[in-house]
Amino acid sequence: MTTSDPTTVTPSSLEELRDAVLDRPGPIRVAGAGTAHDWAGTPAPAGTVLSTTGLSGIVTHNPGDMTAEVWAGTPFAQLQARLGEHHQRIAADPAREADGATLGGLFATADSGPRSLQYGSLRDVVIGATIVLADGTVARSGGHVIKNVAGYDLTKLLHGAHGTLGVLAALVLRLHPTPQVTATVAVPCDRAAMTDLARRVADSPVEAAAVAWHDGRLLALVEGSERGAEARARRLVETLGDEAGLLAPDDATAAWEAHDAAVRARPDDRAVLRFGVIPGSLSGVLDGLDTDTGGLTEVTASPRTGIATVALPADADVVAAAHRRVADAHGTSTLRQRPPGADLPAFGPAPASAALLRQVAASVDPDQRFGRGRLAPWLPLPSTTVGATA
Amino acid sequence: MATPTTATGPTTGPLAADFAAVLPDTCVITDEVGLRSYECDGLTGFRQVPAVVVLPRDAEEVAACVRVCARHGVPFVARGAGTGLSGGALPVADGVVISLQKLRRILEIDVENRRAVLEPGVFNLDITRAASPHGLYYAPDPSSQQVCTIGGNVAENSGGAHCLKYGFTTNHVLEMEVVLADGSLVTLGGPTGDQAGPDLRGLFIGSEGTLGICTKVTVRLLQTPESVRTLLADFPSIEAAGDVVGDIVEAAIIPAAVEMMDSLAMEAAEAATGAGLTVDAPAALIVELDGPADEVDAEFEHLTAICERHGATRLHVPTEAEERARVWKGRKAAFAAVGRISPDYIVQDGVVPRTRLAEVLTRIAEMGRDAGLRVANVFHAGDGNLHPLVLYSEAAGEHDAAEELSTQIAELCVELGGSLSGEHGIGTDKACSMPRMFSPDDLDVMHRVRLGFDPDSRCNPGKLFPTPRLCGERPGPYRPHPLEEAGVIERL
Amino acid sequence: MTDTQPPTHETGPSPDYTSERGEKAAPERADVLSGDFGSFDDHHPPAQELLDDCVHCGFCLPTCPTYALWGEEMDSPRGRIYLMEMAEKGEIPLEGAFTTHIDRCLGCMACVTACPSGVQYDRLLEATRPQIERNVPRSRADRLFREAIFTLFPYRRRLRAASLGGALYQKLRPATMDRLLAKLPRRLERLVAMESLLPPVSVRDAFARTPIFTPAVGTRRGRVGMLTGCVQDVFFHQVNLATVRVLAAEGHDVVAPAEQACCGALGLHAGREEESAERARALIAVFERAEVDVIAVNVAGCGSSMKEYGELLADDPVWADRAAAFSAKVRDVSEVLADALADSRAPRHRVDATVVYHDACHLGHAQKIRTQPRDVLRSIPGVTLTELPEAEICCGSAGIYNMLQPEAAGDLGRRKADNIRGTGADLLVTANPGCLLQIRKYLEGELPMLHPVQLLDASIRGVRPPGM
Ligand SMILES: Cc1cc2nc3c(=O)[nH]c(=O)nc-3n(C[C@H](O)[C@H](O)[C@H](O)COP(=O)(O)OP(=O)(O)OC[C@H]3O[C@@H](n4cnc5c(N)ncnc54)[C@H](O)[C@@H]3O)c2cc1C
Ligand code: SF4
Ligand code: SF4
Repeated sequence: MTTSDPTTVTPSSLEELRDAVLDRPGPIRVAGAGTAHDWAGTPAPAGTVLSTTGLSGIVTHNPGDMTAEVWAGTPFAQLQARLGEHHQRIAADPAREADGATLGGLFATADSGPRSLQYGSLRDVVIGATIVLADGTVARSGGHVIKNVAGYDLTKLLHGAHGTLGVLAALVLRLHPTPQVTATVAVPCDRAAMTDLARRVADSPVEAAAVAWHDGRLLALVEGSERGAEARARRLVETLGDEAGLLAPDDATAAWEAHDAAVRARPDDRAVLRFGVIPGSLSGVLDGLDTDTGGLTEVTASPRTGIATVALPADADVVAAAHRRVADAHGTSTLRQRPPGADLPAFGPAPASAALLRQVAASVDPDQRFGRGRLAPWLPLPSTTVGATA
Repeated sequence: MATPTTATGPTTGPLAADFAAVLPDTCVITDEVGLRSYECDGLTGFRQVPAVVVLPRDAEEVAACVRVCARHGVPFVARGAGTGLSGGALPVADGVVISLQKLRRILEIDVENRRAVLEPGVFNLDITRAASPHGLYYAPDPSSQQVCTIGGNVAENSGGAHCLKYGFTTNHVLEMEVVLADGSLVTLGGPTGDQAGPDLRGLFIGSEGTLGICTKVTVRLLQTPESVRTLLADFPSIEAAGDVVGDIVEAAIIPAAVEMMDSLAMEAAEAATGAGLTVDAPAALIVELDGPADEVDAEFEHLTAICERHGATRLHVPTEAEERARVWKGRKAAFAAVGRISPDYIVQDGVVPRTRLAEVLTRIAEMGRDAGLRVANVFHAGDGNLHPLVLYSEAAGEHDAAEELSTQIAELCVELGGSLSGEHGIGTDKACSMPRMFSPDDLDVMHRVRLGFDPDSRCNPGKLFPTPRLCGERPGPYRPHPLEEAGVIERL
Repeated sequence: MTDTQPPTHETGPSPDYTSERGEKAAPERADVLSGDFGSFDDHHPPAQELLDDCVHCGFCLPTCPTYALWGEEMDSPRGRIYLMEMAEKGEIPLEGAFTTHIDRCLGCMACVTACPSGVQYDRLLEATRPQIERNVPRSRADRLFREAIFTLFPYRRRLRAASLGGALYQKLRPATMDRLLAKLPRRLERLVAMESLLPPVSVRDAFARTPIFTPAVGTRRGRVGMLTGCVQDVFFHQVNLATVRVLAAEGHDVVAPAEQACCGALGLHAGREEESAERARALIAVFERAEVDVIAVNVAGCGSSMKEYGELLADDPVWADRAAAFSAKVRDVSEVLADALADSRAPRHRVDATVVYHDACHLGHAQKIRTQPRDVLRSIPGVTLTELPEAEICCGSAGIYNMLQPEAAGDLGRRKADNIRGTGADLLVTANPGCLLQIRKYLEGELPMLHPVQLLDASIRGVRPPGM
């Protein structure tokens, strides 16, 4: 086994997945569509790449119950299209959808899009999962009903685990009806003005599903019935003043696509940082980062959730300082895209809960077989990095 | 706030003495009468007198108490208001009860950022009371909202009538401070829905006090909806009411709440509250729509049409806020009100996929007939969460039959692809039924996660997980999941 | 509910589950059944059926003042009922912790309002307190102190003396009282509590009498008997006068028999059953002679006891029927006035003020009278009513509680005062002298405090309300 030559296995059933975990020796790197291969920490060399792309498709969809069980390797866009045939959807809109990201990959990386303002992130719509652990144990948690408090919500442990701790085989989702109409209101504004404008959106009774700032504009998304949504969008235009306008459908699509493209961007020599702070601090933190880094690019910000994605120089010190600035504002940050080979800090200073994370990891994946290095330094590499455990 | 001295002495044993070193005397209860007051929670069938009850006053004192427990190697049980219905706050023999009822401050209502920072003992309804002057509210509203605590809600992942649209506690908690079994304080979650690293916050929520004690919670507040419309509709049969629920979903309407009551439940609720329910109607639905006025008006028209199509015998639209509150009072008082029509009763809590509601109700009626017991039904129809109330008389010796029927109903829910519990948790009550829903491997993984948090299992031991001592000979055979039987999924 | 509150969720005062409770039939008297009552004696122990009504749901906890203060289960309604059960089973003795926790109960009955299961804690407490008085030897200090209170309070003459304070008080104070106080060990706390509650009163007021007969203004609506009360008549004589004027203005002949004495409420709530029954009989006799249609009461605590005479004397073959007939006539003054609103005789003048109304426990919780006083106040043009946060929680007055449990009462009083301050109201009104005395102690001079009839009286007469 050499580090440059990992074996890729692509199981296509739960049984094959479990067998692969049991049969392959040593560390395993889990991969979906590869759209976030460089996110979080630098993966340590692993002899096996376990691709989930063979575990694809809907296991069961019961439109009447508005739930679906889906294999983790299912491309998200494809899944949405299938559900759309029943006028249903997963109420999440992560930007990587357009690049072919899988459901499991999006969940493991805790990705979310602007609609998280109204619907929360994927952790809020996943109601159950089937998980394979490093010792081949197959465990289910949650179930097929929206409301369920039996047992631990183990699924949550893998949200944001970046391929550590266990492999997701399948997820059960709660679905929402597809809105009949979506309408976008745009107001040109610089970043300094976004907070106040967004507050006005929030204080109006129209209940926007998303509010995002990108490229000199604040976008507010309204979703609903034919009669309701348009009327609400018009009310929003009134609330936001003369410069606000309802975008024509094509322009709206283009505006959100440009927003998503910025989130997904891989600008040369720059790293992408995703962070969340209390909404009221967002503007200040962005300004601080601007100064620290000599100017942020590809900025997208959600002034009501406090989440932003920004590009900054791919320099370890700069990135570390950015993490620190976010931590000083009591926020959380994760490194996303980065230039190939760049060794950059994935997270900010370790919180007290990192010790807890290490203990939980030691309990479910004592040899750190899965995704070794992804959560470093919070979950440090084992001191002995030797191979087989099987 | 001084507590008058209870007849307690800090001198009963070294454990109490150590507590007395970290807490004032008045916050350590060791007298028999005091201890016995804590021997059960809302589920009185299980009782256990603890060794000591402590009432710390802030997070630091909670941590200090937990460290005392750690030093003595004794188990401890967190307790909020003790309204849990699954025996979650049942003390452990020779263990300590840590009551959070002196941590009741609302630390912050942050209007701009729409969040509240709370101590764990804050009553759920008090959050909304504090937020409402700012046009905000806290969405999860268990029927016990006036008394259950946010800490208990976190532990049970509580939901309420409005969780169909707005979700459960887990969807509203951003950040928490937690005392772990070794007495260390950690923060889980973050200021946004985007935590860094695994979602330990989400894992903790719903863990029924077995992973630690939550000492501070940051929750999201929502804007008070512009418009709320409520409909109370009577139907000639449970099936007809069930079909209405199906059609509402079909019509892409997500109501804020859809509650169903059968005639027996209405009889009790009406006796307690005079809420205006039709006592002899076979079934009634309370449907509430909320949101921007433009949306709500359109949906409401649609909703009334659906009800009429299914033969509603009465449509009542309470218009005044007070009238609407009365309808809800009727619904929310229903459990406790059953005490008026039956000397004793058991509240069951199970979930089935919404599309199987009619089926499960028919089966429950049959099972009740076979057992010779009456069953009243109150439930969250929108999400398939049933609360059958098994009525019985202790004096007539019906207790065991009632317990058995109640357990059978919960297990029937699992059989139909649902869950053992939608909101009351597993606790002591249903630990023995867990193997019906989860395989030994599922349970083993949960247990391993628990050991990561609490290696000596001193946090609320004996709850949630089936233990041989608790369950005797009755762990029950493993049953395949219905989807497994149907060949849709496989499990190893 | 006010407009600012979210429409979907219950806020404001906790729901009242008892207002439509349709009183259950009185349970079978435990004493006529033979049985084992554990630690209780066989004279009316708390009935097992009443104890069984409690399903341990905890809905009553947030409204209980002692639970609000300490968060301890034993000092909550659910806990106290649980203790009664244990005592009933003989598992714990009455002496010691049991008595401590029952003593700390304010008897405010907020728990009765909050309970969805219809638990009649009022009856349970009324059955339990005399058990303690009979069976638990009190410490000497405690006993003497209680005696001192009951030597002073129910006697108008002695209260008048006390009200004057200083040297005159010393001189006029009954000798028994002096002897008792002399024997008391230095329980300063309690004495201070007692003395500091007594407000200064003008000599004229203290010795004034309420007119025995006042004719109706204009056409007569009916003949109303009026309880003048003991504390009320001495310390709040102006309230009695206002009551007479208002009732007369609304068309009632008002009769206030001179020979009436204390109604016995204070003793009854403290478990002094025999003494109270004696006072009840005397009062019934007085009002029988007065031949009135209705007996109006302007003291919430007295009214709630008088409405219960029927039960108190149910065992007495001579008095049972007379007591029931008496109780049926008893109305709070706000009930009488609210009834007259539809056809009001007395024109009101404007009073521009934001008024906060405090529900006295014995009116709101015990008598379920909440809307009537508010309706009466709203009939005054210019008045804006605001609601109090934690309205359901007792102010700590609770009869003689503030003397027996001064520390708890003090905490509750301060809490209530903070809430009142928070409303920014110009004026506080409440229908119980105990509450007025208690709240005054913590809000002295901050805003005027009146009985609702005083505000109405000022409005009818077109004068400035006292203190404004
Ligand atoms: C009449 C009635 C109606 C109800 N309706 C609903 C309903 O509609 N929906 C619903 O979800 N539930 C309902 N419940 C159940 C109950 O109210 C909830 O489970 C509630 O969340 C419990 O809160 P509590 O403060 O009483 O917790 P407790 O009963 O004191 O404790 C419950 C569990 O939480 C743990 N715990 C408590 N505080 C903490 C803490 N700070 N940190 C860690 N663990 C802690 C305890 O150890 C225990 O395991 C109802 C109960 C009653 C009596
Ligand atoms: S009467 Fe008042 S003080 Fe006593 S238990 Fe009930 S609520 Fe608490
Ligand atoms: S008294 Fe009533 S509200 Fe209180 S616990 Fe008992 S049943 Fe519940």
